[in-house]
Amino acid sequence: MADSEIPLVVRDLHKSFKDVSVLNGLSLEAHEGDVITLIGASGSGKSTFLRCMNLLEVPDAGDIIVHGEPVAFKQHNKTREPASWKQVERIRSRLAMVFQGFNLWAHMSLIGNVIEAPIHVLGVPRRQARERGMALLERVGLADRADYFPAQLSGGQQQRGAIARALAVDPEVLLFDEPTSALDPELVGDVLAVMRELADEGRTMVVVTHEMDFARDVSSQVIYLHEGRIEEAGAPADVLKKPNSPRLQQFLAPRF
Amino acid sequence: MFDFQGYGPRLLEGAWLTAELAVLSLIAALVIGLMVASAKSSRSMTLKSVATVYTTLIRGVPDLVMMMLLFYGGQIGMNMATDGLNAWLGTDMFINVNAFAAGVVTLGVIYGAYMSETFRGAFLAVDAGQMEAARAYGMSPWLAFRRVRFPLMMRHALPGINNNWLVLLKSTALVSIIGLSDMVYVADQATKATHQPFLFMLPVGLGYLAITAVSELVVTGLKRRFDVGFSQAT
Ligand SMILES: Nc1ncnc2c1ncn2[C@@H]1O[C@H](COP(=O)(O)OP(=O)(O)OP(=O)(O)O)[C@@H](O)[C@H]1O
Ligand SMILES: [Mg+2]
Repeated sequence: MADSEIPLVVRDLHKSFKDVSVLNGLSLEAHEGDVITLIGASGSGKSTFLRCMNLLEVPDAGDIIVHGEPVAFKQHNKTREPASWKQVERIRSRLAMVFQGFNLWAHMSLIGNVIEAPIHVLGVPRRQARERGMALLERVGLADRADYFPAQLSGGQQQRGAIARALAVDPEVLLFDEPTSALDPELVGDVLAVMRELADEGRTMVVVTHEMDFARDVSSQVIYLHEGRIEEAGAPADVLKKPNSPRLQQFLAPRF
Repeated sequence: MFDFQGYGPRLLEGAWLTAELAVLSLIAALVIGLMVASAKSSRSMTLKSVATVYTTLIRGVPDLVMMMLLFYGGQIGMNMATDGLNAWLGTDMFINVNAFAAGVVTLGVIYGAYMSETFRGAFLAVDAGQMEAARAYGMSPWLAFRRVRFPLMMRHALPGINNNWLVLLKSTALVSIIGLSDMVYVADQATKATHQPFLFMLPVGLGYLAITAVSELVVTGLKRRFDVGFSQAT
Protein backbone atom coordinates (compact mmCIF):
# COMPACT_ATOMS: atom_id res chain seq x y z
CA MET A 1 0.00 0.00 0.00
CA ALA A 2 1.23 3.48 -0.81
CA ASP A 3 2.31 5.54 2.19
CA SER A 4 -0.19 8.23 1.23
CA GLU A 5 -3.09 6.00 2.23
CA ILE A 6 -1.66 5.13 5.61
CA PRO A 7 -2.46 7.56 8.46
CA LEU A 8 0.88 7.15 10.20
CA VAL A 9 4.13 5.55 9.17
CA VAL A 10 7.21 5.68 11.38
CA ARG A 11 10.49 4.32 10.10
CA ASP A 12 13.66 3.49 11.93
CA LEU A 13 13.49 6.10 14.70
CA HIS A 14 16.57 6.73 16.80
CA LYS A 15 16.75 8.98 19.80
CA SER A 16 19.35 9.63 22.48
CA PHE A 17 19.22 11.87 25.51
CA LYS A 18 22.75 13.18 26.06
CA ASP A 19 24.74 10.01 25.42
CA VAL A 20 22.07 7.55 26.46
CA SER A 21 20.46 5.88 23.51
CA VAL A 22 16.75 5.44 24.22
CA LEU A 23 15.24 4.50 20.85
CA ASN A 24 17.25 2.19 18.62
CA GLY A 25 15.50 1.90 15.29
CA LEU A 26 11.75 1.72 15.90
CA SER A 27 9.20 1.47 13.12
CA LEU A 28 5.45 1.08 12.92
CA GLU A 29 2.61 1.50 10.47
CA ALA A 30 -0.78 2.54 11.74
CA HIS A 31 -3.32 1.76 9.01
CA GLU A 32 -6.84 3.11 9.02
CA GLY A 33 -8.68 1.59 11.99
CA ASP A 34 -5.60 0.01 13.57
CA VAL A 35 -5.23 -0.03 17.31
CA ILE A 36 -1.57 -0.50 18.10
CA THR A 37 -0.64 -1.02 21.72
CA LEU A 38 2.88 -0.43 22.96
CA ILE A 39 3.88 -2.44 26.00
CA GLY A 40 7.17 -2.85 27.80
CA ALA A 41 8.94 -2.32 31.08
CA SER A 42 9.39 1.10 32.62
CA GLY A 43 12.15 2.95 30.79
CA SER A 44 11.90 0.84 27.66
CA GLY A 45 11.12 3.96 25.60
CA LYS A 46 7.34 3.74 25.09
CA SER A 47 6.59 7.35 25.95
CA THR A 48 9.58 8.66 24.03
CA PHE A 49 8.50 6.67 20.97
CA LEU A 50 4.97 8.06 21.19
CA ARG A 51 6.19 11.61 21.80
CA CYS A 52 8.45 11.41 18.74
CA MET A 53 5.39 10.68 16.61
CA ASN A 54 4.04 14.20 17.11
CA LEU A 55 7.47 15.76 17.52
CA LEU A 56 7.22 16.55 21.23
CA GLU A 57 10.62 14.89 21.08
CA VAL A 58 12.65 15.30 17.92
CA PRO A 59 14.13 12.00 16.77
CA ASP A 60 17.86 11.97 15.89
CA ALA A 61 17.17 9.83 12.85
CA GLY A 62 14.24 8.20 11.10
CA ASP A 63 11.10 9.22 9.24
CA ILE A 64 7.62 10.19 10.32
CA ILE A 65 5.06 10.18 7.53
CA VAL A 66 1.49 11.34 8.13
CA HIS A 67 -0.88 10.39 5.33
CA GLY A 68 1.96 10.44 2.86
CA GLU A 69 3.48 13.70 4.10
CA PRO A 70 6.96 13.19 5.53
CA VAL A 71 8.10 15.52 8.31
CA ALA A 72 11.03 17.51 6.94
CA PHE A 73 14.19 17.81 9.03
CA LYS A 74 17.34 19.88 8.88
CA GLN A 75 20.66 19.82 10.69
CA HIS A 76 21.29 22.74 13.01
CA ASN A 77 24.51 22.90 15.05
CA LYS A 78 24.87 19.12 14.83
CA THR A 79 21.36 18.49 16.17
CA ARG A 80 18.43 17.57 14.02
CA GLU A 81 15.47 19.92 13.95
CA PRO A 82 12.23 20.05 12.02
CA ALA A 83 12.81 22.14 8.91
CA SER A 84 9.49 23.90 9.39
CA TRP A 85 7.74 24.34 12.73
CA LYS A 86 4.66 25.39 10.76
CA GLN A 87 4.55 21.91 9.27
CA VAL A 88 5.04 20.38 12.71
CA GLU A 89 2.14 22.43 14.11
CA ARG A 90 -0.08 21.30 11.26
CA ILE A 91 0.87 17.67 11.74
CA ARG A 92 0.42 17.88 15.51
CA SER A 93 -3.11 19.15 15.04
CA ARG A 94 -3.83 15.93 13.11
CA LEU A 95 -2.37 13.58 15.73
CA ALA A 96 -4.22 14.24 18.97
CA MET A 97 -2.53 13.17 22.19
CA VAL A 98 -4.07 12.02 25.45
CA PHE A 99 -1.67 12.29 28.37
CA GLN A 100 -1.18 10.20 31.47
CA GLY A 101 -1.71 13.32 33.60
CA PHE A 102 -4.70 14.56 31.51
CA ASN A 103 -3.15 18.03 31.07
CA LEU A 104 -6.50 19.72 30.59
CA TRP A 105 -5.96 23.49 30.61
CA ALA A 106 -6.75 24.43 34.18
CA HIS A 107 -8.03 27.93 33.48
CA MET A 108 -10.59 26.82 30.91
CA SER A 109 -13.93 25.11 31.46
CA LEU A 110 -14.32 21.60 30.12
CA ILE A 111 -16.12 22.80 27.00
CA GLY A 112 -13.51 25.56 26.70
CA ASN A 113 -10.82 22.88 26.62
CA VAL A 114 -12.67 20.95 23.95
CA ILE A 115 -13.22 23.89 21.60
CA GLU A 116 -9.84 25.55 22.13
CA ALA A 117 -7.81 23.85 19.39
CA PRO A 118 -10.68 23.70 16.86
CA ILE A 119 -11.22 27.45 17.17
CA HIS A 120 -7.69 28.78 17.59
CA VAL A 121 -5.64 26.21 15.69
CA LEU A 122 -8.03 24.94 13.03
CA GLY A 123 -10.12 28.08 12.60
CA VAL A 124 -13.52 26.43 13.11
CA PRO A 125 -16.28 29.01 13.81
CA ARG A 126 -17.12 29.20 17.52
CA ARG A 127 -20.77 28.17 17.20
CA GLN A 128 -19.92 25.12 15.17
CA ALA A 129 -17.06 24.16 17.48
CA ARG A 130 -19.36 24.46 20.49
CA GLU A 131 -22.08 22.31 18.99
CA ARG A 132 -19.59 19.66 18.02
CA GLY A 133 -17.87 19.94 21.42
CA MET A 134 -21.13 19.46 23.30
CA ALA A 135 -21.89 16.40 21.22
CA LEU A 136 -18.46 14.99 22.09
CA LEU A 137 -18.94 15.67 25.80
CA GLU A 138 -22.27 13.87 25.51
CA ARG A 139 -20.42 10.90 23.99
CA VAL A 140 -17.98 10.63 26.86
CA GLY A 141 -20.80 11.09 29.37
CA LEU A 142 -19.90 14.61 30.52
CA ALA A 143 -22.55 16.83 28.93
CA ASP A 144 -23.71 17.97 32.37
CA ARG A 145 -20.14 18.92 33.31
CA ALA A 146 -19.44 21.19 30.32
CA ASP A 147 -19.01 24.34 32.41
CA TYR A 148 -16.98 22.74 35.19
CA PHE A 149 -13.28 23.44 35.50
CA PRO A 150 -10.76 20.59 35.52
CA ALA A 151 -10.09 21.06 39.24
CA GLN A 152 -13.77 20.34 39.91
CA LEU A 153 -13.70 16.98 38.10
CA SER A 154 -12.52 13.53 39.13
CA GLY A 155 -9.49 12.03 37.39
CA GLY A 156 -11.70 9.75 35.32
CA GLN A 157 -13.89 12.66 34.25
CA GLN A 158 -10.83 14.73 33.38
CA GLN A 159 -9.43 11.93 31.25
CA ARG A 160 -12.72 11.41 29.43
CA GLY A 161 -12.80 15.17 28.89
CA ALA A 162 -9.25 14.99 27.53
CA ILE A 163 -10.43 12.31 25.10
CA ALA A 164 -13.24 14.62 23.97
CA ARG A 165 -10.63 17.35 23.48
CA ALA A 166 -8.62 14.95 21.33
CA LEU A 167 -11.63 13.94 19.24
CA ALA A 168 -12.57 17.57 18.68
CA VAL A 169 -9.70 18.11 16.24
CA ASP A 170 -10.88 15.17 14.14
CA PRO A 171 -7.46 13.53 14.31
CA GLU A 172 -6.04 11.04 11.83
CA VAL A 173 -4.53 9.15 14.72
CA LEU A 174 -5.14 9.26 18.47
CA LEU A 175 -2.04 8.88 20.62
CA PHE A 176 -2.53 7.70 24.20
CA ASP A 177 0.26 7.64 26.78
CA GLU A 178 -0.84 5.43 29.67
CA PRO A 179 -4.24 7.10 29.86
CA THR A 180 -5.39 5.15 32.90
CA SER A 181 -2.19 4.92 34.96
CA ALA A 182 -2.90 8.00 37.05
CA LEU A 183 -6.44 6.93 37.89
CA ASP A 184 -7.89 5.29 40.96
CA PRO A 185 -8.77 1.70 40.07
CA GLU A 186 -12.52 2.29 40.21
CA LEU A 187 -12.23 5.08 37.60
CA VAL A 188 -10.21 3.10 35.06
CA GLY A 189 -13.20 1.22 33.67
CA ASP A 190 -15.07 4.29 32.38
CA VAL A 191 -12.04 5.55 30.49
CA LEU A 192 -11.26 2.14 28.98
CA ALA A 193 -14.92 1.81 27.95
CA VAL A 194 -14.70 5.05 25.99
CA MET A 195 -11.46 3.87 24.35
CA ARG A 196 -13.04 0.56 23.39
CA GLU A 197 -15.90 2.40 21.73
CA LEU A 198 -13.43 4.50 19.75
CA ALA A 199 -11.65 1.36 18.61
CA ASP A 200 -14.95 -0.24 17.64
CA GLU A 201 -15.91 2.70 15.49
CA GLY A 202 -12.68 2.36 13.55
CA ARG A 203 -10.50 5.12 15.00
CA THR A 204 -6.80 4.74 14.36
CA MET A 205 -5.03 4.64 17.71
CA VAL A 206 -1.57 4.14 19.16
CA VAL A 207 -1.83 3.33 22.86
CA VAL A 208 0.89 2.96 25.47
CA THR A 209 -0.66 0.91 28.23
CA HIS A 210 -0.16 -1.50 31.08
CA GLU A 211 -3.76 -2.73 30.73
CA MET A 212 -3.19 -6.20 29.29
CA ASP A 213 -6.92 -6.96 28.98
CA PHE A 214 -7.33 -3.88 26.81
CA ALA A 215 -4.29 -4.82 24.72
CA ARG A 216 -5.60 -8.35 24.24
CA ASP A 217 -9.23 -7.49 23.45
CA VAL A 218 -8.94 -4.30 21.47
CA SER A 219 -5.64 -4.04 19.64
CA SER A 220 -4.93 -5.12 16.12
CA GLN A 221 -1.22 -5.17 16.85
CA VAL A 222 0.84 -5.37 20.03
CA ILE A 223 4.42 -4.13 20.09
CA TYR A 224 6.67 -5.13 22.96
CA LEU A 225 9.58 -2.75 23.50
CA HIS A 226 12.77 -3.60 25.29
CA GLU A 227 15.57 -1.06 25.66
CA GLY A 228 14.33 0.97 22.72
CA ARG A 229 14.03 -1.98 20.36
CA ILE A 230 11.02 -3.93 19.15
CA GLU A 231 11.56 -7.27 20.81
CA GLU A 232 8.33 -8.79 19.58
CA ALA A 233 5.34 -7.56 17.60
CA GLY A 234 2.21 -9.04 16.09
CA ALA A 235 -1.41 -9.88 16.67
CA PRO A 236 -2.37 -9.95 20.35
CA ALA A 237 -3.34 -13.61 20.06
CA ASP A 238 0.27 -14.43 19.19
CA VAL A 239 2.26 -11.89 21.14
CA LEU A 240 0.29 -12.07 24.38
CA LYS A 241 -0.75 -15.75 24.29
CA LYS A 242 2.31 -17.39 22.79
CA PRO A 243 5.24 -15.05 23.34
CA ASN A 244 8.53 -16.23 21.87
CA SER A 245 10.92 -13.96 23.67
CA PRO A 246 11.82 -15.09 27.18
CA ARG A 247 11.83 -11.43 28.27
CA LEU A 248 8.26 -10.97 27.09
CA GLN A 249 7.27 -14.24 28.74
CA GLN A 250 8.64 -12.91 31.98
CA PHE A 251 7.03 -9.48 31.44
CA LEU A 252 3.64 -11.14 30.96
CA ALA A 253 4.01 -13.65 33.80
CA PRO A 254 1.43 -13.00 36.51
CA ARG A 255 2.87 -10.73 39.13
CA PHE A 256 2.20 -11.49 42.77
CA MET B 1 -9.43 77.54 50.65
CA PHE B 2 -8.65 74.91 48.06
CA ASP B 3 -6.64 77.15 45.80
CA PHE B 4 -3.41 76.21 47.62
CA GLN B 5 -2.15 79.77 47.47
CA GLY B 6 -2.30 79.71 43.72
CA TYR B 7 -0.43 76.40 43.40
CA GLY B 8 -3.62 74.35 42.86
CA PRO B 9 -3.46 74.04 39.06
CA ARG B 10 0.26 73.23 39.08
CA LEU B 11 -0.25 70.60 41.77
CA LEU B 12 -2.98 68.99 39.68
CA GLU B 13 -0.75 69.03 36.64
CA GLY B 14 1.99 67.46 38.73
CA ALA B 15 -0.40 64.76 39.93
CA TRP B 16 -1.42 64.04 36.36
CA LEU B 17 2.21 63.84 35.29
CA THR B 18 2.94 61.43 38.14
CA ALA B 19 0.02 59.20 37.16
CA GLU B 20 0.89 59.27 33.47
CA LEU B 21 4.54 58.58 34.08
CA ALA B 22 3.75 55.73 36.47
CA VAL B 23 1.29 54.00 34.15
CA LEU B 24 3.44 54.31 31.02
CA SER B 25 6.54 53.15 32.94
CA LEU B 26 4.53 50.21 34.26
CA ILE B 27 3.60 49.19 30.73
CA ALA B 28 7.23 49.52 29.61
CA ALA B 29 8.40 47.53 32.64
CA LEU B 30 5.87 44.75 31.98
CA VAL B 31 6.87 44.43 28.33
CA ILE B 32 10.60 44.48 29.13
CA GLY B 33 10.06 42.10 32.04
CA LEU B 34 8.22 39.57 29.87
CA MET B 35 10.84 39.76 27.15
CA VAL B 36 13.74 39.36 29.58
CA ALA B 37 12.02 36.49 31.39
CA SER B 38 11.50 34.76 28.04
CA ALA B 39 15.12 35.40 27.13
CA LYS B 40 16.23 33.82 30.40
CA SER B 41 14.21 30.68 29.75
CA SER B 42 15.28 30.46 26.11
CA ARG B 43 17.82 27.98 24.83
CA SER B 44 20.14 30.62 23.41
CA MET B 45 23.17 31.17 25.63
CA THR B 46 23.66 34.69 24.25
CA LEU B 47 20.12 35.77 25.12
CA LYS B 48 20.47 34.19 28.54
CA SER B 49 23.71 35.96 29.41
CA VAL B 50 22.55 39.35 28.12
CA ALA B 51 19.40 39.03 30.24
CA THR B 52 21.38 38.01 33.31
CA VAL B 53 23.86 40.86 32.97
CA TYR B 54 20.95 43.28 32.61
CA THR B 55 19.08 42.18 35.72
CA THR B 56 22.23 41.92 37.84
CA LEU B 57 23.36 45.38 36.81
CA ILE B 58 20.03 47.07 37.38
CA ARG B 59 19.33 45.46 40.70
CA GLY B 60 22.78 46.24 42.01
CA VAL B 61 22.76 49.98 41.27
CA PRO B 62 20.55 52.56 43.05
CA ASP B 63 17.58 53.74 40.98
CA LEU B 64 18.69 57.35 41.25
CA VAL B 65 22.16 56.62 39.90
CA MET B 66 20.66 54.51 37.14
CA MET B 67 18.28 57.27 36.20
CA MET B 68 21.00 59.90 35.90
CA LEU B 69 23.23 57.49 34.05
CA LEU B 70 20.53 56.66 31.52
CA PHE B 71 19.33 60.24 31.17
CA TYR B 72 22.68 61.99 30.78
CA GLY B 73 24.27 58.98 29.15
CA GLY B 74 21.34 58.89 26.76
CA GLN B 75 21.82 62.55 25.88
CA ILE B 76 25.54 62.06 25.31
CA GLY B 77 24.88 58.99 23.20
CA MET B 78 22.32 60.91 21.20
CA ASN B 79 24.77 63.79 20.72
CA MET B 80 27.49 61.46 19.51
CA ALA B 81 25.07 59.87 17.10
CA THR B 82 23.90 63.21 15.70
CA ASP B 83 27.49 64.55 15.59
CA GLY B 84 28.48 61.51 13.59
CA LEU B 85 25.56 61.98 11.24
CA ASN B 86 26.25 65.72 10.94
CA ALA B 87 29.87 65.14 10.03
CA TRP B 88 28.80 62.59 7.49
CA LEU B 89 25.86 64.45 5.97
CA GLY B 90 27.17 67.97 6.50
CA THR B 91 24.04 68.91 8.46
CA ASP B 92 23.53 70.58 11.80
CA MET B 93 21.12 68.41 13.79
CA PHE B 94 20.60 68.32 17.54
CA ILE B 95 18.14 66.05 19.29
CA ASN B 96 17.15 66.95 22.81
CA VAL B 97 16.31 63.94 24.96
CA ASN B 98 12.75 64.54 26.08
CA ALA B 99 12.69 64.39 29.88
CA PHE B 100 9.31 62.67 30.07
CA ALA B 101 10.25 59.99 27.56
CA ALA B 102 13.58 59.54 29.36
CA GLY B 103 11.70 59.11 32.61
CA VAL B 104 9.43 56.45 31.14
CA VAL B 105 12.33 54.61 29.55
CA THR B 106 14.45 54.78 32.70
CA LEU B 107 11.74 53.59 35.05
CA GLY B 108 10.73 50.96 32.48
CA VAL B 109 14.28 49.70 32.21
CA ILE B 110 14.78 49.63 35.99
CA TYR B 111 11.48 48.01 36.90
CA GLY B 112 11.63 45.73 33.86
CA ALA B 113 14.50 44.00 35.65
CA TYR B 114 12.41 43.42 38.77
CA MET B 115 9.38 42.38 36.72
CA SER B 116 11.48 39.86 34.82
CA GLU B 117 12.31 38.06 38.06
CA THR B 118 8.64 38.02 39.00
CA PHE B 119 7.69 36.62 35.60
CA ARG B 120 10.46 34.05 35.63
CA GLY B 121 9.26 32.64 38.93
CA ALA B 122 5.71 32.66 37.62
CA PHE B 123 6.71 30.81 34.43
CA LEU B 124 8.35 28.12 36.53
CA ALA B 125 5.26 27.79 38.71
CA VAL B 126 3.11 26.72 35.75
CA ASP B 127 2.85 22.95 35.37
CA ALA B 128 4.88 21.90 32.30
CA GLY B 129 2.06 19.60 31.14
CA GLN B 130 -0.08 22.65 30.36
CA MET B 131 2.35 23.96 27.74
CA GLU B 132 3.02 20.46 26.50
CA ALA B 133 -0.68 20.01 25.75
CA ALA B 134 -0.70 23.38 23.97
CA ARG B 135 2.16 22.27 21.73
CA ALA B 136 0.67 18.82 21.21
CA TYR B 137 -2.49 20.40 19.82
CA GLY B 138 -0.56 22.37 17.23
CA MET B 139 -0.45 25.79 18.88
CA SER B 140 2.28 28.10 17.61
CA PRO B 141 4.62 29.49 20.29
CA TRP B 142 2.78 32.81 20.28
CA LEU B 143 -0.68 31.23 20.47
CA ALA B 144 0.45 28.93 23.28
CA PHE B 145 1.84 31.92 25.15
CA ARG B 146 -1.30 33.97 24.70
CA ARG B 147 -3.86 31.26 25.43
CA VAL B 148 -2.07 29.07 27.96
CA ARG B 149 1.20 30.28 29.46
CA PHE B 150 0.24 33.91 30.04
CA PRO B 151 -3.14 33.41 31.75
CA LEU B 152 -1.78 30.59 33.92
CA MET B 153 1.36 32.49 34.82
CA MET B 154 -0.44 35.72 35.76
CA ARG B 155 -2.01 34.07 38.79
CA HIS B 156 1.46 33.59 40.21
CA ALA B 157 2.85 36.88 38.96
CA LEU B 158 0.16 39.28 40.19
CA PRO B 159 1.33 39.71 43.78
CA GLY B 160 4.89 40.42 42.61
CA ILE B 161 3.71 42.77 39.87
CA ASN B 162 1.63 44.62 42.43
CA ASN B 163 4.62 45.04 44.75
CA ASN B 164 6.85 46.26 41.94
CA TRP B 165 4.16 48.64 40.79
CA LEU B 166 3.82 50.24 44.23
CA VAL B 167 7.58 50.76 44.44
CA LEU B 168 7.64 52.08 40.88
CA LEU B 169 4.86 54.54 41.66
CA LYS B 170 6.87 56.02 44.51
CA SER B 171 10.04 56.09 42.43
CA THR B 172 8.37 58.50 40.02
CA ALA B 173 9.27 61.18 42.58
CA LEU B 174 12.90 60.72 41.50
CA VAL B 175 12.20 62.15 38.05
CA SER B 176 12.32 65.71 39.34
CA ILE B 177 16.07 65.25 39.28
CA ILE B 178 15.97 65.16 35.49
CA GLY B 179 13.78 68.23 35.34
CA LEU B 180 10.21 66.94 35.41
CA SER B 181 7.57 68.74 37.46
CA ASP B 182 5.83 65.82 39.08
CA MET B 183 3.60 66.46 42.07
CA VAL B 184 6.39 66.08 44.64
CA TYR B 185 8.51 68.62 42.79
CA VAL B 186 5.65 71.12 42.63
CA ALA B 187 4.83 70.65 46.31
CA ASP B 188 8.49 71.08 47.22
CA GLN B 189 8.68 74.34 45.27
CA ALA B 190 5.48 75.56 46.89
CA THR B 191 6.69 74.64 50.37
CA LYS B 192 9.96 76.47 49.84
CA ALA B 193 8.08 79.58 48.75
CA THR B 194 5.37 79.55 51.43
CA HIS B 195 6.89 77.60 54.35
CA GLN B 196 3.68 75.59 54.69
CA PRO B 197 4.76 71.97 54.24
CA PHE B 198 1.53 70.45 55.50
CA LEU B 199 -0.61 72.43 53.10
CA PHE B 200 1.27 70.86 50.19
CA MET B 201 2.73 67.58 51.34
CA LEU B 202 -0.47 66.21 52.82
CA PRO B 203 -2.40 66.46 49.56
CA VAL B 204 0.55 64.92 47.75
CA GLY B 205 0.47 61.97 50.15
CA LEU B 206 -3.25 61.69 49.57
CA GLY B 207 -2.63 61.83 45.81
CA TYR B 208 -0.37 58.77 46.01
CA LEU B 209 -2.91 57.03 48.23
CA ALA B 210 -5.64 57.72 45.67
CA ILE B 211 -3.56 56.20 42.86
CA THR B 212 -2.78 53.22 45.07
CA ALA B 213 -6.45 52.75 45.95
CA VAL B 214 -7.46 52.72 42.30
CA SER B 215 -4.72 50.24 41.49
CA GLU B 216 -5.84 47.96 44.35
CA LEU B 217 -9.26 47.80 42.72
CA VAL B 218 -7.71 46.90 39.39
CA VAL B 219 -5.52 44.22 40.99
CA THR B 220 -8.49 42.71 42.81
CA GLY B 221 -10.36 42.50 39.51
CA LEU B 222 -7.38 40.89 37.78
CA LYS B 223 -6.94 38.40 40.62
CA ARG B 224 -10.50 37.28 40.19
CA ARG B 225 -9.99 37.06 36.44
CA PHE B 226 -6.88 34.89 36.63
CA ASP B 227 -8.15 32.73 39.48
CA VAL B 228 -10.84 31.28 37.24
CA GLY B 229 -10.53 27.50 37.33
CA PHE B 230 -8.55 27.53 40.58
CA SER B 231 -10.68 29.22 43.22
CA GLN B 232 -13.65 27.00 42.29
CA ALA B 233 -11.76 23.83 43.17
CA THR B 234 -13.99 21.48 45.13
N1 LIG C 1 13.72 14.35 28.60
C1 LIG C 1 14.52 13.33 28.93
N2 LIG C 1 15.81 13.56 29.26
C2 LIG C 1 16.65 12.54 29.57
N3 LIG C 1 16.28 11.25 29.59
C3 LIG C 1 15.01 10.94 29.28
C4 LIG C 1 14.06 11.97 28.94
N4 LIG C 1 12.88 11.37 28.67
C5 LIG C 1 13.07 10.05 28.84
N5 LIG C 1 14.35 9.77 29.20
C6 LIG C 1 14.91 8.45 29.44
O1 LIG C 1 14.60 7.65 28.35
C7 LIG C 1 14.28 6.32 28.77
C8 LIG C 1 12.95 5.93 28.22
O2 LIG C 1 11.96 6.73 28.83
P1 LIG C 1 10.43 6.62 28.50
O3 LIG C 1 9.74 7.66 29.30
O4 LIG C 1 10.23 6.63 27.04
O5 LIG C 1 10.07 5.18 29.06
P2 LIG C 1 8.68 4.46 29.21
O6 LIG C 1 8.79 3.17 28.51
O7 LIG C 1 7.59 5.38 28.81
O8 LIG C 1 8.61 4.19 30.78
P3 LIG C 1 7.37 4.26 31.79
O9 LIG C 1 6.63 2.96 31.67
O10 LIG C 1 8.03 4.41 33.13
O11 LIG C 1 6.54 5.45 31.42
C9 LIG C 1 14.35 6.33 30.28
O12 LIG C 1 15.59 5.78 30.66
C10 LIG C 1 14.29 7.78 30.64
O13 LIG C 1 15.02 8.03 31.80
MG1 LIG D 1 6.03 6.43 29.83
